[in-house]
Amino acid sequence: MIMKNRQTLISLSIVVVLLSSIYYIGTDGFTAYTAETSRTNQLVNSQPEFPEVVLEDSLNREYNFSQFEGQYVFITFFYSACSTVCIQLEENMGEVYEALPEEFLGEDVTFLSISFDPERDTPEVLNSYQQYFGSDGETWRMARINDDQELNNLLDTFEVVVIPTDDGHFTHNSAFYVVNPDGHLTAVLDYQDIDSAVDYLLEELED
Amino acid sequence: MTQGFYGVLLLLFLFAPPVRDFLESIMILHMHMQMPMIIIAGFLIGDYLIKKFPNFFSKWNENGIPGAVLLVFVTLYWMIPKTMDDALISYTWEVFKFISLAFLVGVPLRDSWKRLSDRVKDIVIIIFVFSFILMGALYIFSEQQLCNNYLQVEQLTLGWGFITMGICGIIYLIQEWFIDSSKYE
Repeated sequence: MIMKNRQTLISLSIVVVLLSSIYYIGTDGFTAYTAETSRTNQLVNSQPEFPEVVLEDSLNREYNFSQFEGQYVFITFFYSACSTVCIQLEENMGEVYEALPEEFLGEDVTFLSISFDPERDTPEVLNSYQQYFGSDGETWRMARINDDQELNNLLDTFEVVVIPTDDGHFTHNSAFYVVNPDGHLTAVLDYQDIDSAVDYLLEELED
Repeated sequence: MTQGFYGVLLLLFLFAPPVRDFLESIMILHMHMQMPMIIIAGFLIGDYLIKKFPNFFSKWNENGIPGAVLLVFVTLYWMIPKTMDDALISYTWEVFKFISLAFLVGVPLRDSWKRLSDRVKDIVIIIFVFSFILMGALYIFSEQQLCNNYLQVEQLTLGWGFITMGICGIIYLIQEWFIDSSKYE
């Protein structure tokens, strides 16, 4: 396309610069095309601390999250009545679990699936749910948080968005969360990319 | 003047909180109703602006290309999932959405369209058809929830909305290919 005069060329250049700036700012410098990615990037950069919560697990045990101090915790958020994403999420978590050498499990890393539906996910329900995924209840625990405020605080801190739908389900974002031995969130990983999650964990654990 | 007046009126109407909340509460209304109406408002306002500053437009947008590039890419920008969330979360982005769609899409559309050659017009339409189909596929087949503010079901609806618009564009291009419209002018 031939530009007949200088003005058109100038205005086209201005347009290109303007558009590039808009796209640059709007996509966090071409790194995020969904709000989710953008949030995750910022979240990991800020490394928030896992807040104090009391967990109740599938073996009816109650304890503070701080009992995992000194080891990595590999976390997912789910609810057992979920018939779609959560199953995939937990299955993939199971694959990461299987892929790790046994010596690390329970010593250097604990797997923890946290339910955000404490009303329905009682210890009994969690206990039967974990059978499907090969979770042993010890090195891979499934737990609920009974205190609403504690649960919401955790979800807010880790920016887990949970929207109840009309039919008793939830729409929620899914990811693997890794909390380091100091209790800080260090990674939010794509739950569909099992290999990367395994690589990430191995690298951290072998350090 | 009248057109410009109605344009401003429409823009203010769309920006009124109850109207805005309603249109933005449903994903497909947000993208395929509110946004096009903001563009229409800008298109109407363009009538006034172009008559008021004819020299500015003919000097800087002589062949219509700068305006066309601007309107195409600003429109595409607002199809990115993140930008819709931004507009819902931040007031600054929301205001920018209204301003950019009205003045960086609606106004240049009005000015550029009559300046563009038929071939470039077709290219613009093809770009839109292509991106509608692409965005449609993205919103339909994505297993992830793309916008945090909308459920996945709505995402699916929006995807099909995009495909429908893409099909309309294709039908337009086909009829244009076969029918010589100059015979009817």
